[in-house]
Amino acid sequence: MSEQPSLHSSRPLTLRFDIPISKTREFWDSLRDGKFVTTKCSECGNVTFPPQADCPRCMGSEFEWVDLGREATLVTFTSVQVAPASFAGSGPYMIGIGEFRGGVKVLARLEGIEPKKARPGAKLRIEARSEKGGNPYYVFVAC
Amino acid sequence: MSRVAIVGIGHSRFGRRTDVNVGELAFESIKEAVDDAGVDRKEIKNVVVGTMGSWYEELLPAVVVNEYAGLSGAGTMRVEAACASGSAALKAAYNSIVSGETDVALAVGVEKMTEVDSPTSVELIGRAGSYMWEFENFGMTFPAYYALYAVSHMNRYGTTEEDLARISVKAHRYGAMNPLAQFQKEITIEKVLGSPVVAWPLKLYDACPLTDGSAAVVLATEDVAKKLSDTPIWIKGVGYSSDTANLGRRSNYVGLEAAVRAAGRAYSMAKVSPGDIDVATAHDCFTIAELMAYEDLGFCRKGEGTKLLREGQTEIGGKIPVNVDGGLKAKGHPVGATGVSMAVEITKQLRGEAGRRQVPLRKGLGLVHNVGGTGHYAYVTILSRS
Repeated sequence: MSEQPSLHSSRPLTLRFDIPISKTREFWDSLRDGKFVTTKCSECGNVTFPPQADCPRCMGSEFEWVDLGREATLVTFTSVQVAPASFAGSGPYMIGIGEFRGGVKVLARLEGIEPKKARPGAKLRIEARSEKGGNPYYVFVAC
Repeated sequence: MSRVAIVGIGHSRFGRRTDVNVGELAFESIKEAVDDAGVDRKEIKNVVVGTMGSWYEELLPAVVVNEYAGLSGAGTMRVEAACASGSAALKAAYNSIVSGETDVALAVGVEKMTEVDSPTSVELIGRAGSYMWEFENFGMTFPAYYALYAVSHMNRYGTTEEDLARISVKAHRYGAMNPLAQFQKEITIEKVLGSPVVAWPLKLYDACPLTDGSAAVVLATEDVAKKLSDTPIWIKGVGYSSDTANLGRRSNYVGLEAAVRAAGRAYSMAKVSPGDIDVATAHDCFTIAELMAYEDLGFCRKGEGTKLLREGQTEIGGKIPVNVDGGLKAKGHPVGATGVSMAVEITKQLRGEAGRRQVPLRKGLGLVHNVGGTGHYAYVTILSRS
């Protein structure tokens, strides 16, 4: 049906969140040093990603940091052609889920491979990145 | 514990509804449902409004909707279970009757998704899940989440892009027979395969549209239902479950475990099995989602959804017709309205009022499968004529 008249609200709203990371700060600090770590419960040994200070399995709050290493295996992937508004202009990009030894799975951008050539089972390497003025992040790179 | 019946149904036209605001849109289905039930609004002591919101201007939609429809004073709440908010509203309304709190309750689902521009809608849905760990740095989108499942299903079971296209073609065929559907045009497999990729391997015609719409159902106790209606449709089973916010924490990407659990609970409560169901609505926000639903609901074994599809068993006349209202794909997917819309469709089918889309009834049982997010929430509701 045809467009009907509307009143454009004149009070746009911008939301910017300050997301607390104090309990998992080590993850972000390690990422800046190029290491990819996560939490392991000191009580039951459960390893979680994303890192979390309180264990979802036994509810214990004692934990240690473990290094997940760099190597992972591609579990599944996609290539995003239509990006969200806040990613406008960043063009098509790939996203994959990689599995580390021990079974921890991580979702991240996937680089170094064409969508048509990517296959579950492909070998990946995780890399820490940080851009000037931006937050540190991580990507999978196909080996 | 009283049995609970659906005694009134209402459904707005779905589509890009620039002619109505959220209150006006909800009113269309509320009025129809109240009239259909023949109930006095004063008897409705609980109004549950399922909506996700944030793409329209109102922050307290339940009270806005109630005020517009003259229902202020009733107990009310807005409930959110992403794209399953409608089923969550139905469940909350159902609970208020089962608990003995009220004899009549109203579940309303409403969503107004086109008041913001499309990239903003894509942004809002993409943020749903684990914002910090799967959106902030990566730019996940809703199609991208389901694409992760599609790639995995194709890799494991040999599912093809043509199989997925077939689901879209089926949806449009029935959508063309539903005057309330957003898209009422038939399409071809070639048209689906030739449409632009949104998140590989999913294309534009594998995806449901952004939709404005509302649906409403009036629920009542057994005593009241029998007074109000000659054809009460009974809620025989409700199962609901959830899964992790982070997709990285899922064990596999070939099915939705929350839906498997929800279905198991619903079948068990209703004391029926998948083979007893005459007609189902499945949550086909993307074509791959309907295919996984066949398997998750036990209509076939894991990995055999494509066989069921290729044989035409999910069409009218097949073993288990699915989404003969056009599904989310062609009917449209106004997020919070969808679960209620599905209950409206199954009620019509079980009453024998679905016209050209009527499926043959054997046991008089229908099923609503409504998923929130990418299997983050799942609700399965089983309705019965007896």
